[in-house]
Amino acid sequence: MTTRHARSDLAGRRPDASMTLLTEVSSSSLDEGYALVARRRAAGLEPAPRATSRVLTAVVAAAVGLALCAAALALHQPTASAQKAREVLESRIVERNDEVAALQGEIEDLDAQITALQSALAGSASDRLDPGPAVTVAAGQVAVSGPGLRVELADAQGSDPDAPDDDSRVQDVDLQVVVNGLWQAGAEAVAINGQRITSTTAIRSAGSAVLVDLVPLSGPYRVEAVGNAVTLQTGLARSSAGDLLTALRTTYGIGVDVSRQDSLEVPRAAPVTLRYARVPDDELPPALQPTPAPTSAAAPTAPPASASAAGPSAPGRPVSASRARVAVSATQVADTQRSSPTGPGEDRS
Amino acid sequence: MIAVIGLVVGVVAGLALQPTVPAELQPYLPIAVVAALDAIFGGVRAMLDGIFDDRVFLISFLSNVIVAALIVFLGDQLGVGSQLSTAVVVVLGIRIFSNAASIRRHLFKA
Repeated sequence: MTTRHARSDLAGRRPDASMTLLTEVSSSSLDEGYALVARRRAAGLEPAPRATSRVLTAVVAAAVGLALCAAALALHQPTASAQKAREVLESRIVERNDEVAALQGEIEDLDAQITALQSALAGSASDRLDPGPAVTVAAGQVAVSGPGLRVELADAQGSDPDAPDDDSRVQDVDLQVVVNGLWQAGAEAVAINGQRITSTTAIRSAGSAVLVDLVPLSGPYRVEAVGNAVTLQTGLARSSAGDLLTALRTTYGIGVDVSRQDSLEVPRAAPVTLRYARVPDDELPPALQPTPAPTSAAAPTAPPASASAAGPSAPGRPVSASRARVAVSATQVADTQRSSPTGPGEDRS
Repeated sequence: MIAVIGLVVGVVAGLALQPTVPAELQPYLPIAVVAALDAIFGGVRAMLDGIFDDRVFLISFLSNVIVAALIVFLGDQLGVGSQLSTAVVVVLGIRIFSNAASIRRHLFKA
């Protein structure tokens, strides 16, 4: 190496001096042992191979070939096992998906059964068991359609989806304030992206997603309220929600679109289940009592058995009672900081 | 020539027996196979040059594989295993290419 360098220094800089490594590698690609042995053989220095060395060569070559084959097979193996693992995972995913579909079908069946039983109950009992449309609508137990107001909130444009800025996104607090403002303005039924809002629905955020009734929603958020569209719009504009909407639009660049709609469809909420309340046996309406009883025994003050359908807002109580509570928290919201991590959802519960 | 026959016998036996390689040796297999390929191409070129020798072929084969595996092992211990593997693959790759080019000149005179 050094001698070669010295020579190149004498003859001036070689044109490929900067590539000596590459030239070295490609010019001496053949093992020099071959040339060496050939020279020695030509000079008659190499003795003729003996029988034992021939056998040894064959054995070593066979062993090397075996090892090479084993290596190649072992290198081929992992892809096969990875493929197998992938297939197992795929089949498991398909299996679980089928399970989910089956369970969802079961849920639908059971829901239908509950509704059928409740309607059978209402039909068999007296009219008092029917809580009336005001209660069932307020409790979100029936789908509702009619004119109303639609408020669309969209995340601010131009915000980087990889590094979202909290202030440029629609947050749970914003939706809470808008929904409360709509209730305050006299909405009869409210839904966000098709999720019905009832007095027990929570609007919360989990990470960057907004959960409505534990269902994650993504923007743009469509808040639809059924009611007198004109009253709703003026009421919303006058409430604290109106101020918030203006602030969202001007300060944070969030897309706000309030529009009156001639016909809105608001779906029903999930059926309400009674957990603790029981109707005493002797207070049951006649149709539900196990043994025949005098028809006049049903006390007029007895709570209807289908109070379950009415949910937390008790029948007979004005529906606006729950709204009044909601309205209080709406004013609270106006005071809270927009970026505060705890929304008024906690206050409401 | 005996070495080539032995090698072919070994490969056939390996295909028939399907031997397994110990898990500790697995990381060195890719480099070892590249080194073996280099030795095989060198052997073929030597054969076409008329200077093939069984002993040189076998020794170059074994030393290539062992040195390549040793370099990777050392690199793993030093934390530069992937870089050293790349270096070995580059050098052996260039050698394989130039040997293959020489073989091609011998076979097709082009």
